[in-house]
Amino acid sequence: MKLLIIEDEKSLCDNIFNYFNEEGNICESCNSLTTAIDKLSAYKYDCILLDIGLPDGDGFGVLDYLRENNRNEAVLIISARNSLNDKILGLNTGADDYITKPFHLAELKARVVATYRRKTFNTNNKLIFNEITINLLGRTVSVNDTAIILTRKEYDMLLYFIANKGKVISKNAIAEHMWGDEMDMHDNFDFIYTHIKNLRKKLLDAQCADYIKSIYGIGYKFIAE
Amino acid sequence: MKLATHYNRASIFITILVLMSGALIYYFAIRQITRNQLDREIAEEIAERIDYVNRNGKIPKNDFDDNLTEFVKINSKDFTTRFFDTVYYTGSGKMPENRRAAAALITVAGQNYKLIITESYSGINNLVQIITLITVVLLIVLLLILLITNKYVLTSLWLPFYNILHELKTFNVADPKDFTSKPNRVDEFNELNTAVQIMASRVKNDYLHLKQFTENASHEMMTPLAVITTKLDTLIQDENLNADQYTQINDIYSAAAKLSRLNHALLLLVKIENNLVNDEEALNLQSLIMQKLQQFKELIAAKDITVLEVLKENRIVASKTLIDILLNNLFSNAIRHNIEHGKLLITLTNEKLVFENPGAAKPLDKDILFERFQKAPGSDGVGLGLTIVKNICQLYHWDISYNHQGSLHQFEIVFNKDIETVVKK
Repeated sequence: MKLLIIEDEKSLCDNIFNYFNEEGNICESCNSLTTAIDKLSAYKYDCILLDIGLPDGDGFGVLDYLRENNRNEAVLIISARNSLNDKILGLNTGADDYITKPFHLAELKARVVATYRRKTFNTNNKLIFNEITINLLGRTVSVNDTAIILTRKEYDMLLYFIANKGKVISKNAIAEHMWGDEMDMHDNFDFIYTHIKNLRKKLLDAQCADYIKSIYGIGYKFIAE
Repeated sequence: MKLATHYNRASIFITILVLMSGALIYYFAIRQITRNQLDREIAEEIAERIDYVNRNGKIPKNDFDDNLTEFVKINSKDFTTRFFDTVYYTGSGKMPENRRAAAALITVAGQNYKLIITESYSGINNLVQIITLITVVLLIVLLLILLITNKYVLTSLWLPFYNILHELKTFNVADPKDFTSKPNRVDEFNELNTAVQIMASRVKNDYLHLKQFTENASHEMMTPLAVITTKLDTLIQDENLNADQYTQINDIYSAAAKLSRLNHALLLLVKIENNLVNDEEALNLQSLIMQKLQQFKELIAAKDITVLEVLKENRIVASKTLIDILLNNLFSNAIRHNIEHGKLLITLTNEKLVFENPGAAKPLDKDILFERFQKAPGSDGVGLGLTIVKNICQLYHWDISYNHQGSLHQFEIVFNKDIETVVKK
């Protein structure tokens, strides 16, 4: 996947860059509207991470450019404003998703992967990770062709883990992903433990390799083979 | 008391006072003048009698006029002429009559007589009656004119004042529309109008700046928070960290998450207070609560809470976002502060929504419960949840109240649907 990160806050940009820059991904970054348009006019990308608040104009300019040139990059807006109007405006002008600062990198990754997947949905509606096959359309999971029944939360969590495979994910990030922004239940980590324990058990019961590793004191890691 | 009433009172009092004292002065002045007149007449009469006696050398038999004349023999020689008031009984009924009299010494054929002539006051009495009548009529006419003047002139004169007052009363700092008072012919009111307008626009400006500042400050904080969070996300990828360092990182995570929630909550409050959330739509509260129950299913199960819900049909017109937040906060509180194996009672009728749950033994302090940054001991929230709930209720003119009954903490929202429609109109 080829990614363009448009973010003016240098350290944030670097962190996103490092997190996404792994095998199979090509990342590029820029920090202003002008450089973003320059890059976009020269190269094609799969996905664009776009900060709305840029020093030389707002990021909606990028969306306008993409639309005028009939480009079909997936765009994920990063905004400091949790404003419904901005969200609607962004999604109406061609963005595919909207994430509000502050966010966890794991969440960002999961969103980017999901957005990219949606864009390429017609060609590929099956996600295969080693022996695990996920039918994204029917939301079903099978291990070595044996179907396993997962609850909605377990299914979400599995997708989340696979999107962030090989990364340590903090319990905070998982909690926020599971309970959403507004449920105000982030201090409650027991559920995560229960859900993950159940998910892991179901996978192991289906003769799946033990991918979910607990990192004591901080969170979990889905080991990438 | 209204200004017009004050003014009426004072003017009526002064009018009565002035007219009364005027009447008194009139009365005394006219009395004095007529008395002098009478005295002169009587003196003339006496002179006439003396003249007659001197010419004829005898006391006149018949009276000259209708004045009463008496001659009384006296021995004393030194008698000075004097005037005095007397009462005389006339007619068959012997009615007392006030009269003016004068006594003088007259000598007829060596014999001294005291000559007394009296004259009636009745002329004066008529005069006094007429004066009284005129005064009373004048008083009534004046009072009527005053009342009418006050009622119409004063009211129309003060109309601009009441207009300004009305605008001031309905003044809302968050309302973008300006004062609409028109100029009028009274300079003082024009001045007041201008002063009020200047003040209002200054207040609005200040308020706008403050609002923008709050909003910008909150938004500006989000980027550094994002940096902190993502730095931590990167940091934990290093698997050589030990458990103690992980604990430290966890604490930073929690603090950053809390700060971000606090920021979101404050921004939300600003939005609600300024009435900036206006995506109102018809909502079915019953199904929304059912959805929330589903959403909180795992959390409810984890504490082994028994949910007893009695949900009746209830349709409201409100913002879905806000109602979502309202229900989230009520559910979160009822679960978070619940006891293990506790229960949660949710009652929804067309009039009200009630959440009841057991929890801390002591009732919460009703006075400060909904205030900002008030939180239960040991609570990990930011202390804005109930403030947000209350503000959402206020926005839609619903009443929220807290009660502690038996061992249950009870939050009740009364929807006031008739008031709502009145306000809408």
